[in-house]
Amino acid sequence: MSMHISLRRAAATLPNSTTTILPSGRVSASQTNATTFVCSQCRHATLLRRPKRPYTFTQLITLSDGSAFLHRTTSPAPIYRSTRDTRNSLLWNPSSSKLMNVEDDEAGRLAAFRARFGRSFDANTPVADTSSSSKDPATKKAEEAAAKAQAQAEQEEEDNLLDLISAFGQEEPQPTGKIFDKKKK
Amino acid sequence: MSSGSNGARRVASLLRPSRLDSGVCRSCQETIGRRNYASAAAATQSTTAAPDTTFPVVKPVYTINAGVVLSRPPQITRDLEPFEKAYHFYQKRLNERLALPFTKYFYFKRGTPADVDWKKKIAERRTPARDIGNYNAYASDAWNDELLMGSRESDPEYQVEKLVDDAESTANATSQDTSKKEEIPRPFSRVTEADKKGDFKSLNRLLPQTLYLLVQSKEGYWKFPSSPVVDEETIREAAERTLAESAGVNMNTWMVGYHPAGHHVYKNRKPHIDQATGAETHGEKTFFMKTRMMTGQADLSSNVQNLKDFKWLSKDEIAKHVLPQYYSYVKNMLADR
Repeated sequence: MSMHISLRRAAATLPNSTTTILPSGRVSASQTNATTFVCSQCRHATLLRRPKRPYTFTQLITLSDGSAFLHRTTSPAPIYRSTRDTRNSLLWNPSSSKLMNVEDDEAGRLAAFRARFGRSFDANTPVADTSSSSKDPATKKAEEAAAKAQAQAEQEEEDNLLDLISAFGQEEPQPTGKIFDKKKK
Repeated sequence: MSSGSNGARRVASLLRPSRLDSGVCRSCQETIGRRNYASAAAATQSTTAAPDTTFPVVKPVYTINAGVVLSRPPQITRDLEPFEKAYHFYQKRLNERLALPFTKYFYFKRGTPADVDWKKKIAERRTPARDIGNYNAYASDAWNDELLMGSRESDPEYQVEKLVDDAESTANATSQDTSKKEEIPRPFSRVTEADKKGDFKSLNRLLPQTLYLLVQSKEGYWKFPSSPVVDEETIREAAERTLAESAGVNMNTWMVGYHPAGHHVYKNRKPHIDQATGAETHGEKTFFMKTRMMTGQADLSSNVQNLKDFKWLSKDEIAKHVLPQYYSYVKNMLADR
């Protein structure tokens, strides 16, 4: 835009200088004839387009920890409440135990699963220890016993199911050695 | 803050025995000192006994203390000045005239409850913006954009209140359940309960300002925690030990640097003479180390430095608590805000 303006100005100042140098009337006539000249004088106002700025509102942003601030935005919503941001992200709060991924293992099912199928490294993680460390040892022992009993019950149930599957389609279900019988047939 | 090499030089000049007059400025002292060395070097050629007399064994005539300036950073932004409020408000109404008009159809689908609610509100307040008061940039009275005396429109609290009110009324108008009223929680107040009660021990007071830990000695003087540097200890180590011995270890702190940020010189009227060794002390020099605190709270219950009370104070409150002479030394290392 500024480039255009400077060019026009240069063109506008040009004829004045020529008229001062050459005083005769014939020169001015030749100037009017020279319409092919590119930088001919033009004095109309050029249209400067206003930059398109969208309408902006003031919005109140409330972060997840309750801190709030005002900012300008195109969104017409008066309040924005964020649920996930830097205030409750573990990446920005590495020391917060509240944000740690702690699984609540009330019934001891996860512990029982780990006892059976887990590797040694996640069998006794410190996370599980901290969750149960608040309780006194008596309840802990009871919990462990319950978890063991439940694991045993689950195993029995699983055995029963296996029995049922293997016994399907046979006339008389035999309690022992049924798999070997099936293979021999 | 004089924590760079300038501060180090000042500390060095303070630690050096004061052979020169204290009324002479530092740069002049240095040039005079250099001239002295030159003349002393010239003098050694004539007299051999000169070095012994020009460089005597330095006796520590001042007790060197390490002090801790423990600060809690500001928690919220500062309050705006009235002029700033007026300026921001003027810019908002000016923007109303210059920006493109709000394109409602882009944000609200025709016939929806939100659209109906929006139309009703626009008729009331004459403009899409909620925080500029009753003003329409396209009306015939658009020129009348100045606030009257005593109006609250430029106040940020007023603007927040208007935004929350608007969100609440929208939630009530567009919800299916008309029986219960929707409540949108307001932002927390900038003035806390500790401010209202005047609780100087709370860290939740004066949220927009920096707070500093000051302790009160048994004699009743307020000061920053400080104690003498024991042998073979750096100032920083001494400052860390001082903090642990005075305010307890229940604080997550971070010492900013290895150079002191300021100093305080106290001269006794008469030099104290120790009966056992015969050494005389003319006073004490305290060097303050800057420290930030993140969490925790000061606890004087197990202090070993004869302290009876502590307070968290801002700079202007410190001026009211400490002696004027002490404040003149420490004021330039404290942040105004």
